[in-house]
Amino acid sequence: MTSRLRRAVDNVDLQRFRFWFQAAAFVLFVYGGYLAVDLGNSLPMFSCGYNQEGRAGVCYLLPLQHQLSRPWPQLFGWAGIGVLTGFATFFLWFIVLNKGWCGFMCPLGTLQDWLTSLRKRLGIRYSLYGEQAFNRLTWVKFVLLALMFLIPLAIGGGLLSHDWGAPFCQICPGRVILPLFTADPLQLTIDYSSIGTLVLTGLGMFIAGLFLVGAFIKKRFFCFFCPMSALHYLISKPALLKLKKDGDKCTKCGNCFNVCDMEIRAIADDLERKDIMTDDCTLCLKCVAACPEPGALKVEFARINIFQATEEGFLKRMNKGAGHDACKR
Amino acid sequence: MTPANVDTLPFNRGRQAREAEVMLDKLVDEFTDNPAAMAYFYDLFRRVYIQGEALERPAAPQVGMTCIQVPEELIYAVGATPVRLCNGAYHYDQIGADFMPAKSCSLVKATLGRLQDQEMGVPRVGKLDMIVNPSTCDQKKKAGAMMEEMGYAVHHLEFPNVKESEAARIYWQRSVRDFAVQLQKLTGKRLTRKRLNQAMARTRRAQTAFRALHNLRKQAPSVVLGKDVFLVTNAYFFDDLERWTDAVEALVAELKERAAAGFNAAQRKAPRILFTGSPPVFPNLKLPLLIEEAGGVVVADETCSANRMLYDMPVVDEWLVNHMVDSLADHYLKPCTCPIFTRNDDRCRRLLDLVRDFEADGVVYQAYSGCQVYEMEQRSVGKVLNEAGIPMLYVETDYSPDDMGQLSTRIEAFLESIKTRKRQRAASGGQA
Ligand code: SF4
Ligand code: SF4
Ligand code: SF4
Repeated sequence: MTSRLRRAVDNVDLQRFRFWFQAAAFVLFVYGGYLAVDLGNSLPMFSCGYNQEGRAGVCYLLPLQHQLSRPWPQLFGWAGIGVLTGFATFFLWFIVLNKGWCGFMCPLGTLQDWLTSLRKRLGIRYSLYGEQAFNRLTWVKFVLLALMFLIPLAIGGGLLSHDWGAPFCQICPGRVILPLFTADPLQLTIDYSSIGTLVLTGLGMFIAGLFLVGAFIKKRFFCFFCPMSALHYLISKPALLKLKKDGDKCTKCGNCFNVCDMEIRAIADDLERKDIMTDDCTLCLKCVAACPEPGALKVEFARINIFQATEEGFLKRMNKGAGHDACKR
Repeated sequence: MTPANVDTLPFNRGRQAREAEVMLDKLVDEFTDNPAAMAYFYDLFRRVYIQGEALERPAAPQVGMTCIQVPEELIYAVGATPVRLCNGAYHYDQIGADFMPAKSCSLVKATLGRLQDQEMGVPRVGKLDMIVNPSTCDQKKKAGAMMEEMGYAVHHLEFPNVKESEAARIYWQRSVRDFAVQLQKLTGKRLTRKRLNQAMARTRRAQTAFRALHNLRKQAPSVVLGKDVFLVTNAYFFDDLERWTDAVEALVAELKERAAAGFNAAQRKAPRILFTGSPPVFPNLKLPLLIEEAGGVVVADETCSANRMLYDMPVVDEWLVNHMVDSLADHYLKPCTCPIFTRNDDRCRRLLDLVRDFEADGVVYQAYSGCQVYEMEQRSVGKVLNEAGIPMLYVETDYSPDDMGQLSTRIEAFLESIKTRKRQRAASGGQA
């Protein structure tokens, strides 16, 4: 990259860039289906499959749960190949953007950011989990991920009825909310046909409500619990997009932690780890934009530095955020 | 010159003024090639410290601060004007000695000594409507109580002495919010998003100018001497914010030209020194002056009268007043490398980082005798620097000019040893 381009990129108004990027991704994944876009059914974020008409591809968790609930002899036989190819496709999508799928692509993530903007417009202050709650909640997503594997397997083994099928999808707020964007309120119901469906769809409605309220008062409320995020983290080592930290250049000023929607303390306090993406991170890159120390935080793609903290970029963004233009005055 | 009656003496013949004059004359006259833009600062110190001119201040309430930990943006935002009270005069140090035990810090004593004289104490800012005294080191805490006894309205700003934990952060945020409430009571003006935003924009502009100046000191050869930069940052204590920023921007513009022209403000092969420890405050710029008189150049510092006061910048994610206040609180706590905290790894890392970035050849560590926290950190800092192969000179001193001769010998020897090391390294084929 030439130095002029480099500078322009490092000075980027990330907030604005992200807003438009996310909006475009939202339109693509929620309405792309009408234009016959089909990116397959192994997408590493919540492009919800219940949005039958509009979706441009399907969230991997849906086919995964279906596949896992095959009868065991099939699953551990020929159907296993299907599971593996599904996972391989998912993995290939994933490693390109890493958790950047969360910060830039996921419709459910974007929706939460929109609720945040709405709250900001109304001048209402956000709430935080705080350190203690954070430490307790950060495990939930791994538990959900484990259940998401175990319940379908139990179905396949005949231990549970098929009413418990695709259990995570049943409680996922994406299933209830995203089809609404294509005027499909069908998921807005509780299924009384059996205990299993009643519990799951009831829970689903409750969680969808919680999602809307939660995301309004707490930035990225739902992402703390997202099993997709847990799955991402477990396979993130070979990913191409990376968030890097140079502890020697960090002053521990805490700016990055201050702006982090996910309240990730390690981003400021951890000086040892070079690969600083943690399990809760969404790779939104707000921290990089908020860091005033040149090179303390960096984004790399396939080891090439594509965006990094600079003093100039920091000041530009702060002045812009405050509605003042530094160059004039 | 034997004045008959002290009371009738013009101000500029007083002891404080003469002390300031001696120092300022040295800082200005003993160096050729002072930047033209420094004239603003030389003149400012002459008027304020030697002629005893009262500062032009807005009629709004005056809020004195005894430490950089006070969020001054809040003070500006409610329409008051802050002034930093930390004093550097030996004259006031002697007056303040009545309040403190013999072996206590010159800076604390001088600050108390200056406050004794409400009317004519220099710098003259008029009546102080409030003094904000953060609970940092023991001496400052106790000094705060003494200021109360002198009749000042003192706000004891509760400051944690551990900064890593979340509990400390929350405690400090509360303390800052409480301070904001007190300030609003003082001025009767509400702290609004708009006012705070404007106040933060003003300090941000000042900090931006400071950072530009700071970054220019990375240049080799040096474009500016450390004694001038200390004067500049000392002026921030009491000068009008906009005037100060304009003057720094002018200085930066001039130094950029110097850099482009390959100008060298120091001697050829001058050892590059990083200054750390107890803060140099005019007129006590003794140590930086001695270093540069002896042919070194102070290229950077890690002190609360300069770098630590202006370098780190707050960030705001959501421009709502509550969040802005909390962000400010974080900014005043988290990056702070003050030795009153339990651990000092952040300070050590900052020093190493400055050594690297500014290509410093050595570190001069000043501790005011009686300043226990700086004295106590000397060992751990020395060890870290030693491991990194960076020579450090530890100097215990106070505001008295008596030790100048002895100090200058030590400094010359230190600089000489650095030069020898560099020569040897160059001779043995390494990079100089
Ligand atoms: S963590 Fe958030 S952004 Fe990422 S997949 Fe889950 S809901 Fe979407
Ligand atoms: S914003 Fe940058 S310098 Fe500050 S704590 Fe984070 S990484 Fe370190
Ligand atoms: S650590 Fe940085 S990239 Fe990750 S969620 Fe927080 S602000 Fe975003």
